[in-house]
Amino acid sequence: MDLALQLLFTGIGIGAVYALVALGFVLIFRATNVVNFAQGEFSMVAAYLMVVAVEAGLPYWAAFIVALLGMALLGVVFNLGVYYPLRHRTYLPVIIATIGASILMANSVLAIYGPQPQVLEGWFETPGIQVGPVYLDSQYLLIIGVTICLVIFNFWFFEKTLLGKKLQATSQDKEMASLLGISVSTMIMITFIYSAVLGGLAGILVAPVLFVSIQMGSTIALKAFAATIIGGFGDVAGAIIGGLALGVIETFGAAYISVPYKDGFAFLVLIAFLIFRPQGIFGERVAEKA
Amino acid sequence: MPLLEIRNLVVRYGEIEALRGVTCAVEEGQVVTLLGANGAGKSTTLRAISGLAKPTSGEILYDGKSIAGLGPEAIVRMGISHVPEGRRVFPGLTVKENIMLGASNRRAATSEISREADAMFDLFPDIRKFTNALGWTLSGGQLQMVAVARGLMAKPRLLLLDEPSLGLAPVIVQAVFKIISEIRRNTTVLLVEQNARMGLSVADYGYVLETGRIVLGGKPDELWGNEAIRAAYLGGHAKVSA
Repeated sequence: MDLALQLLFTGIGIGAVYALVALGFVLIFRATNVVNFAQGEFSMVAAYLMVVAVEAGLPYWAAFIVALLGMALLGVVFNLGVYYPLRHRTYLPVIIATIGASILMANSVLAIYGPQPQVLEGWFETPGIQVGPVYLDSQYLLIIGVTICLVIFNFWFFEKTLLGKKLQATSQDKEMASLLGISVSTMIMITFIYSAVLGGLAGILVAPVLFVSIQMGSTIALKAFAATIIGGFGDVAGAIIGGLALGVIETFGAAYISVPYKDGFAFLVLIAFLIFRPQGIFGERVAEKA
Repeated sequence: MPLLEIRNLVVRYGEIEALRGVTCAVEEGQVVTLLGANGAGKSTTLRAISGLAKPTSGEILYDGKSIAGLGPEAIVRMGISHVPEGRRVFPGLTVKENIMLGASNRRAATSEISREADAMFDLFPDIRKFTNALGWTLSGGQLQMVAVARGLMAKPRLLLLDEPSLGLAPVIVQAVFKIISEIRRNTTVLLVEQNARMGLSVADYGYVLETGRIVLGGKPDELWGNEAIRAAYLGGHAKVSA
């Protein structure tokens, strides 16, 4: 039982990272009808930015802000360079462009930094606290805390502000949004910036737990993509629930069944969902978009 | 000077010439109705005015200024509000939110926009009880009311209405046209209709479009008076034989 509680905590922690990246997937998908296959690289690039900023001698919090600002800028560049020129085309060229961008980002970092993984310290000096039978790792606590704040922010932003409503309107019917005077290109720009920052945040938060490597982006992105399918594609709540569920499932699977097959459990669940419930947990609600 | 003047407007979609030189005008304060069969180019004319379709050639003058080729966001900011075919109410947003977004073409505080949206329900009492219902849950008539209310939130000088009666029950059509006759007190309206009888009942002037060209223009009674026109374009056979 103690072990189960411990695993639940760790699973939610890693699941929160998948949830943040999955949220980025969903927001871009809803705004542009395209899956951004470079979403995972946002996490990777942000982790490297963080490593660079810390090595340059910046205090941790300042490095954090610099890295996130860098991600916002990357969101702008990504939108202008990858999505915007192809916006009037079908989804296929855009998807291929995002794959190309992801390869470009991974190899740029490889060229600059080399293949050896980097280590990033955690935010807190204290490694964690013991609460009863469960040891709460401080970095996982931070991840969970930030994710809770972001989910609340996300809800407030999209449900309570007029800008959030304009973003939703744009994702539901671009032509009608433009007829009302909503600047569609601005809304899509905001979406890319927000998604890049979300992905970046996930990368920075998870970096001290994993190694900072070129491959970390694609690993996280695959899990996050699986999370969006489990939750119900295009559904914000589904992405978060799916991410958390996936983190918990793979953590339990690794502990009780097999550590080497840790990644396998995530994809086993994905395949099960694709066969038995392809619309995901919150699938029906996608009908609202129709 | 007319509020809106269109001269020799040509619009092509690829190989298809949807408009082949349309010329017409809308005077300030009037309701002008564009009539015609399916595919005659009525919707394309509205889409060209609101910036959704790029004119191949020809002129669109609004308040004396050329607006041909401007984007829809710029045109709605100048005071032309387009309520397109099919209502296009955002399905995942509530009625109130849909109506509030109609004010996206102008700067105003959110609280002010919210008040204006509430006031809109005085003109559309039938949808007041659906204030917080999501768009996709509404019926066709309710959607049409929301779409027109949203279009009016732009505070337009010129309102473009595309087929407001399409697919609605006769009693709902009556309600929609009653609203149009109220709107006309302070807004100029360019109305596209297949339902000629309703379309002309509120109009000061009417045009008949046929395969991308204006073939006739006149006051409603002049159009009704022309037997050949009634038979060919206005679907008046039953009336003639009665």
